[in-house]
Amino acid sequence: MRLIFKNLNVLRSTLNAISMSFELKEIVESAGTNLPNLFDFSAFGVLWKEGLLLYLYQEESCPPSFTQEVVKNMARVFSILGEEAINVNRVTVQVEKRKLRPKHMMIDPKATLKSHLTLPLTIEEKIIGCISLNSDQPNAFDAQDLQFLSVIGYQMAASLKHFQRFSSIKNIAIYDTLTNLYNRRYFEERLEVEAQKSFFSDTSLSLVMVDIDHFKRVNDTFGHTEGDRVLCEIASLLKTSVRKKDTVARYGGEEFILILPEAGLEESSMISERIRRLVENTPFEVGQAQINLTVSLGISNFPSHQARTKEELIKMADLALYDAKRGGRNRVSIFMNPKEVER
Amino acid sequence: MPSGVKGDKGGKWSSDLVLDLYSNLLIEIWEVVSALIGEAILALLFNLSVQTLGEKYPFLISLKVSEEGISFEEMREDCRNIAPIEIHRGFQSLINHLSHLFSALAEGVINKELFPKVFPKVREAERIISQK
Repeated sequence: MRLIFKNLNVLRSTLNAISMSFELKEIVESAGTNLPNLFDFSAFGVLWKEGLLLYLYQEESCPPSFTQEVVKNMARVFSILGEEAINVNRVTVQVEKRKLRPKHMMIDPKATLKSHLTLPLTIEEKIIGCISLNSDQPNAFDAQDLQFLSVIGYQMAASLKHFQRFSSIKNIAIYDTLTNLYNRRYFEERLEVEAQKSFFSDTSLSLVMVDIDHFKRVNDTFGHTEGDRVLCEIASLLKTSVRKKDTVARYGGEEFILILPEAGLEESSMISERIRRLVENTPFEVGQAQINLTVSLGISNFPSHQARTKEELIKMADLALYDAKRGGRNRVSIFMNPKEVER
Repeated sequence: MPSGVKGDKGGKWSSDLVLDLYSNLLIEIWEVVSALIGEAILALLFNLSVQTLGEKYPFLISLKVSEEGISFEEMREDCRNIAPIEIHRGFQSLINHLSHLFSALAEGVINKELFPKVFPKVREAERIISQK
């Protein structure tokens, strides 16, 4: 009876640790740290269907052949559960080795997988992965182990469900739903960070404001659905034209904005010109027709334009864009006159 | 848990008898296994098995399984015109498939708990079928 109470207490703290975790790796860590107090096992695995990730929390003396067997077995069971067959070579395995046993009980280097308990992880009747307890000993697990593992699996799935929901709320908060670019709110947060970095360290920071020329005509002629499609295509052109560290956001309507950290006027002009040419040379399919479009771009830069705040930097890029429009469109303009900015 | 095991007012048919037998058996399986792995996973395994066998035994598709349990209401109607032997074969395949899934997941742990309760009833079903 005392043993049952002890186990229930351990189970309770395991569940508590899992429920406090907020991402897959953390969930596996929390479970793995607590499981040795509940079960006698050689390896504990969590297979995550999305991205084919397998986290293994295992006794440090487990030989690689044993690890391979566990991976193969989990993939096999997952396939039996009606999911598509998994190519074991495509599974990314992350192994966390821990000392789970005293030295005299170390695993034989020739040990093979002798017993396992594997359960699917489900969210709203969909299998999202599976968890597995594995041992080099035959008949290592009993009905009580299975009951405990199922409760742990249930809690893990519930935590993952919260994590998924949180991720989707986060996505809604930072991405533009049409173009999948960052939205204006995220842009402002990001610019705050980048501007502070630049202002304090006196490193270069450029902003590029991009506007599609005569976009209203596309909407008026072909309708808003086709117009939206053009916006998405231009968004993807912008994404492919910038560097990894740059931020591309939809600023509103047919306007986009780029944050180019550590880019001076020369580099930002080069990137802007690349975008201008790319859009000019890309034929856009709208309805049955194929049309050509152009964009105008305005650049502002710190420290060249002596902006003192991020708002000033935005204003300068906007004024430069206005110049590009006034100058005949389909061109890149660099902000010229600091006097234009109200301070 | 909705069991749906009710007698036919107009007298029992053999099909009804076989269905009664297997519905009791499935409820027993549900009770034993849900205590081990939880209702959500068990419902998933049942539905997976029904999906796999549904093409060969279409009457199994009317078996409704959720976290709340198994419901036979719809199936009872659908089975009226099906030969008892066919019902017996369908359920036997379902139980075999479930047993295969249990052993894939937990080796002998689930089946060890299940076999002593399930086997006598399967034999009883076979006896009823052979008497007909």
